[in-house]
Amino acid sequence: MVGLQIVEVGWSTTVQDLGRHGYRDIGVPTAGAVDRTAHDLANRLVGNDTDAATLETTRGLVIEAQQALVVATSADGARHTLRVGDQLRVNAATNGVWGYLAVRGGIDVAAVLGSRSQDTLSGLGPPSLEPGVVLPVGADPATVMATDFGPPRSRGAVVRLRPGPRGDMFTGGLTTMFETAWTVQQDVSRVGVRLSARHFGRTEVGESNMMPSEGLVEGAVQITPSGEPIVMLANHPTTGGYPVIAVVEPRDIAIIAQAQPGSTLTFRGE
Amino acid sequence: MQRRAYGPTAWLIDNVTHPGAYAQAVTAVAIDGVLEVLPAEATVLVVCERDRLEAIGTALDQIEPNLGERPRGADQREVVIEVVYDGEDLADVSEQAGVGVAEVIDRHQKGVYTVEFCGFSPGFAYLSGLDPILRLPRRSIPRIHVLAGSVAIAAHYSAIYPSRSPGGWHLLGTTTAEIWNTERSNPALLTPGTTVRFERKEG
Repeated sequence: MVGLQIVEVGWSTTVQDLGRHGYRDIGVPTAGAVDRTAHDLANRLVGNDTDAATLETTRGLVIEAQQALVVATSADGARHTLRVGDQLRVNAATNGVWGYLAVRGGIDVAAVLGSRSQDTLSGLGPPSLEPGVVLPVGADPATVMATDFGPPRSRGAVVRLRPGPRGDMFTGGLTTMFETAWTVQQDVSRVGVRLSARHFGRTEVGESNMMPSEGLVEGAVQITPSGEPIVMLANHPTTGGYPVIAVVEPRDIAIIAQAQPGSTLTFRGE
Repeated sequence: MQRRAYGPTAWLIDNVTHPGAYAQAVTAVAIDGVLEVLPAEATVLVVCERDRLEAIGTALDQIEPNLGERPRGADQREVVIEVVYDGEDLADVSEQAGVGVAEVIDRHQKGVYTVEFCGFSPGFAYLSGLDPILRLPRRSIPRIHVLAGSVAIAAHYSAIYPSRSPGGWHLLGTTTAEIWNTERSNPALLTPGTTVRFERKEG
């Protein structure tokens, strides 16, 4: 079988595209690349459409070409041409958490509900990658490849926030989010990023303890009872039971998604 | 009912009496730029194209807020689910509800249920219409694995586990009905608004 063989694979390496859309009402998470800017960059470097599936990785991987391949990595913005038998090591992202490997033609595993993404929460889509697996590669898109090699982007450090639906449960609304810097906790997940706990004053509305689960969006900032903000990423569940105090400006999702454990983030209003 | 801001790409409609019916109404008027409509227990999330947010907000305010009775149109689906009442928690439920096992089964089987919303896992439908006698809090210790096709109850809902997953609901029985199949054009058998009846089958 021709394609791209997985030789070594680090934790949390999955096939991702732009996700499943239109199925939230039957409980299907969107999934897809958590940093779509980096996913897009890698695809652009090999001349793919933005919806071509890439490999998303945190700890890196080694691939071997079973056919001639043109690939690109988001971490260094470099394009490589591989002959049959060539191996390429994709390193863990050094200036972030998630890196992407795009291959010209896209990873061509079977789509489920319109997407090739592995939904790491509910298990839809292709299975986890293991050494020895050969992934099919799609037909050459017959496009011109971008010549502007993407340098590692400098991401801002300040994340813009918009009001969420449950700001009235907290004293001062979302302003507590602006008052201090927040430390990113150790657990890395496609579901969300957990920040250090702070005291959030609760209003009378906020004191009523039980809130039924309600819809979530990417970038929603939930506040847990212990005062930890959890920022939802691409693979968030369709609904959640903690109040959403704020929503991250969509253009700043990459800053949150790529924030390394132990690093700090600050927020401002928009 | 109240429309709440939810960032630059969504509205949350809060305090909705019948979220499933309201969501159907929002979908039916086909507002330009609405991407997804998600009913939950007391709210409806409306996901929008960013540059259409304000216009969609205005259009949402025109929708009749007091949808008491759910619309009974020609497209109203009714699904009958055959159940073998062999669930592990029948005795527990009988004890907690204070009625015999036969009555637990009878009361569950007689109900006419409506899918209010889906969540928890793909195809997991929350069915309203559970007999008040059977309304119990979830199990204090959830099971790590509940099999697909398990028919269960918790709080004021019944549900059928669409796939193997962890679960804290009380198990009353099992069905062979295919609740979730991504090969079908409609992967979920039970979608918001569907009417559901249970039919007892001997094991």
